[in-house]
Amino acid sequence: MSKMKRLTTGLLLMAVLLSACTGGGNNGPEPTGGAGGGGADGGNEPAGTEAAGGGGGGKMTDVGTPRSETLIVDILGGRSPDPERFNPYVPGAVAMDAGVHQLMFSNLWEIDTQKGTQIPDLAATFPEPLDDTNTKFRFKVQEGLAWSDGTPFTAHDVEFTSKMISETKELGWNGYYTSLVKSMKAIDDYTIEVETVNPETRLSQKLGVVIWGNNFRVMPKHIWENEDPATFKFPDPIGVGPYKLSKRDPQGNWFLWEKREDWQKSDIGKLVGEPGPKYILFKYFGPEEKRIIGMIQHDMDILQDITPESWDVLKQKNEYARAWYQEFPYATMDDPCERGMSFNTAKEPYDNPDVRWALALMTDIKNVSMATFGGMLRVSPIQLPPIQVLQETYHKPMLDWLKDFQLEDGYKPFDETYAEGIVDMLKQQGIEGLPTDPQAIADTFGVGWWKYDPDKAAQLLEKNGFKKDGDKWLLPSGEPWTMTINAPANFEVQSMRLAFAVADSWRKGGIDVNVQQMEGASFWDSESTGAFEIGSYWPACGLLPDTTANMTGWHKQYIVPIGEQAPGNRNRWANDRVSELLDELDGLKPDDPKVVRNITEINQEFVKGIPFLPMFGTSKFVPVDTYYWEGYQTSEDAFEGPWWWWSQFKFYTPHLKPTGR
Amino acid sequence: MGFYKFLLTRLLTFILVVFIGITTVFFVPRFMPSDPVEAMIGKMTANQAFMEPEAIVTLRETLNESFGLEGSVLQQYFGFVKRVILTQDFGPSLASYPIPVNELIARALPWTMGLLLISTLIAWLIGNVVGLLAGFRKDKAYSKALEGVSIVIYPIPYYILSLILIMLLSYIFPIFPLTATFQGEGFTWEHIRSIVYNSILPALSMILVGTGWWVISMKTLSSGIAEEDYVQFARLKGLSERKIMTKYVLPNAALPQVTMLALQVGSIFNGALITEILFGYPGIGTLIYQGILQADYNLIMGTITISIVAVAGATFIVDFLYPFFDPRVRYK
Repeated sequence: MSKMKRLTTGLLLMAVLLSACTGGGNNGPEPTGGAGGGGADGGNEPAGTEAAGGGGGGKMTDVGTPRSETLIVDILGGRSPDPERFNPYVPGAVAMDAGVHQLMFSNLWEIDTQKGTQIPDLAATFPEPLDDTNTKFRFKVQEGLAWSDGTPFTAHDVEFTSKMISETKELGWNGYYTSLVKSMKAIDDYTIEVETVNPETRLSQKLGVVIWGNNFRVMPKHIWENEDPATFKFPDPIGVGPYKLSKRDPQGNWFLWEKREDWQKSDIGKLVGEPGPKYILFKYFGPEEKRIIGMIQHDMDILQDITPESWDVLKQKNEYARAWYQEFPYATMDDPCERGMSFNTAKEPYDNPDVRWALALMTDIKNVSMATFGGMLRVSPIQLPPIQVLQETYHKPMLDWLKDFQLEDGYKPFDETYAEGIVDMLKQQGIEGLPTDPQAIADTFGVGWWKYDPDKAAQLLEKNGFKKDGDKWLLPSGEPWTMTINAPANFEVQSMRLAFAVADSWRKGGIDVNVQQMEGASFWDSESTGAFEIGSYWPACGLLPDTTANMTGWHKQYIVPIGEQAPGNRNRWANDRVSELLDELDGLKPDDPKVVRNITEINQEFVKGIPFLPMFGTSKFVPVDTYYWEGYQTSEDAFEGPWWWWSQFKFYTPHLKPTGR
Repeated sequence: MGFYKFLLTRLLTFILVVFIGITTVFFVPRFMPSDPVEAMIGKMTANQAFMEPEAIVTLRETLNESFGLEGSVLQQYFGFVKRVILTQDFGPSLASYPIPVNELIARALPWTMGLLLISTLIAWLIGNVVGLLAGFRKDKAYSKALEGVSIVIYPIPYYILSLILIMLLSYIFPIFPLTATFQGEGFTWEHIRSIVYNSILPALSMILVGTGWWVISMKTLSSGIAEEDYVQFARLKGLSERKIMTKYVLPNAALPQVTMLALQVGSIFNGALITEILFGYPGIGTLIYQGILQADYNLIMGTITISIVAVAGATFIVDFLYPFFDPRVRYK
């Protein structure tokens, strides 16, 4: 009996202890006051600590900062195993998208995705050639900037970083960098002279941001010069960006960034203005369900990359949630990579362009769009993503060529009515807010794609010895035609779903299609070693009108046998004309008019050979919550794209203002 | 003499199990169609970080060299066995290079141990008490009610049960945090309070699911034992029902439960993958998952080797201690 009593007493004590720890239902630390009158007008009341004592109090975040002064951002890449390691030149560093390159580190040149141009950041000017060899350049760095510890930022930091990378073989970037840059010298505090190993026409693209970020990150000489770059953790990181690290989770789930008191001496302070939020908390929330709940509860302001179904839930439950477009299709379609089916042209029967074309014509693209992302997709018939800048530079100007393009037998496969067709389909499903103007329809859903013509596909296959046995296709050898499409397993959702939707379309055409979902390591390894037949990969990216850098990998010199790791050209597609054009592009400056002409011709070659069957641009649902913060970029106020995981995030911060809640 | 022979046999079995285990753990990841270097490059390019073909080639060479993936598989294997046996060093994590795997495990293990040990013991305790009552006093209303609740909860898939708890206690009634956010560091009240507060929900989910299994198994055991001749004899002797339950039924029914508990405690080192991911809780489960996703051979080998040693160790200890609990068992 006494044992039972002791046990009961023990359990009761534990319960009391646990309830004490929950603080009587309050969430997080005690409030210390702050802006905002508290209380929501409509929508869900935010959960968490409210200050006692009436309207003067404000909610606190669970890291102890006033909610009204804290912007909370989802970490796309999950937790960082070692939150002390900020050395960006080793793989185990804190993930760059945990706010590190968005807020603290800065690049020499950034990108303006709306205009499709690079802009100065730490560098004040672009590299100017010093002679005709295109191997010697000079550029200026910004004056009046300082590291967040107060030390002035100068050209000597840039020179030091260059030397450090060149002299440290253990750094992953050393090999590439030394093949690009021979030397970088600070002529004075604000001038850098660069000598390259080979003639270069795109130095700012190679050392600055084109997409997402760049690996050349300038480090403070006064801290790093006494350290071993291969082992230095950089646990108290500093940068020239407008925020400094304030607190971190020892488990690596969150990082709190605080606006620098001397923000005027940051790159953004000089180039744009004062950042709005005092604090920015980057936090990993876990699976998508929890991330959505987080935003419904106003515990997260910026969500990264969710599914259309989650967006449906979010917009119903949180009236303050906003996507890129106010109405359908909601998602931004200006992501710089497009999705489609990638063929391994070193494997039969995908080494035959007729087979690849047959598969294109067997694709019921409207239904594929509906099955993938509910029709919220923009088609692309060429090797470049259908983003606004590139649509204007390539897709639209190539329209006449696409309409006239013929297969060998004179068949014209292009269908320019795709956009109108998908709009009709969406209307039938009761979707409202669709564009009505033909131009707007084409801008939203794309310039057109290939016809859905199974009969023509059959003709092409039969011409190459394929036969039909009932509803099923047989290979020329007489064996049943079975194929496997590699697809990402629960990451890159659009590509994953696309694989299933395309498989369904091709199954209807009479092919036995299997979708093999693979985790990241296997998925990438299969592409690199050529261990795939068809894959839902995305080897077609670009953002600047000069997409040379993104296309270089298609040169035939990068083809390696199946089984070996390929540096580029993972489809193993050899095209002499494309290689010639790429060689020529390498010697042209980005603003040379021949650049667009050459890239247009490369796209024509891709259409003819179709080693990658481009289908849709990437639609990204990156919703924001306007409950605590406003001023986010949207389709109506598109001062930039919603690229919250890119290094250009810092440029958005001056636009963000508190709502006063 | 019988004891020493018993000890030696068990010790050899333990060593053999561990050896076969770590050998398997070494080779299996290498048969996977994945490569840690490609995984890392893929991760970089998936982030839309532009990389030229030349950059990929040089990066691949540097990483292969740094990761120690050069040389034949056999050379790597002997190096691994030697390193693990002599220095218990699993090398650097490949996905989080150059962080040592030992450091990652040392950081994650206390969290896993804390959460799983406590929730396993609580579930075991509650489950056995309820199961004993349900099995021994099966006609009582409270026994039926407790058993009913356990049987209803037990088959619910863990993921769903956890989501229900999150929806109920983090969303509808926001008492507990949506995701774990730990405050403070070290042995401070703020830190301990934060750990306890953030651990309640994941622990509750594991206790609910764990209890069901213990209830069902204990009920089956105790109801069977309650019908044994010696129990009937005790009744005829006029002993009280409580005494019969605690002195006759419980000790006999508890033996297999103790064995199972020991094995479960050993398997704690596997971590609790779904729990850790759903509740944002740091631990070994997440490490193993990341290791597999990113083909991080060293991390997979480190975490699973520890798990093998723990389970084999727990089995060894149970074998060794069993005669103390059950007089029928002898060291033979």
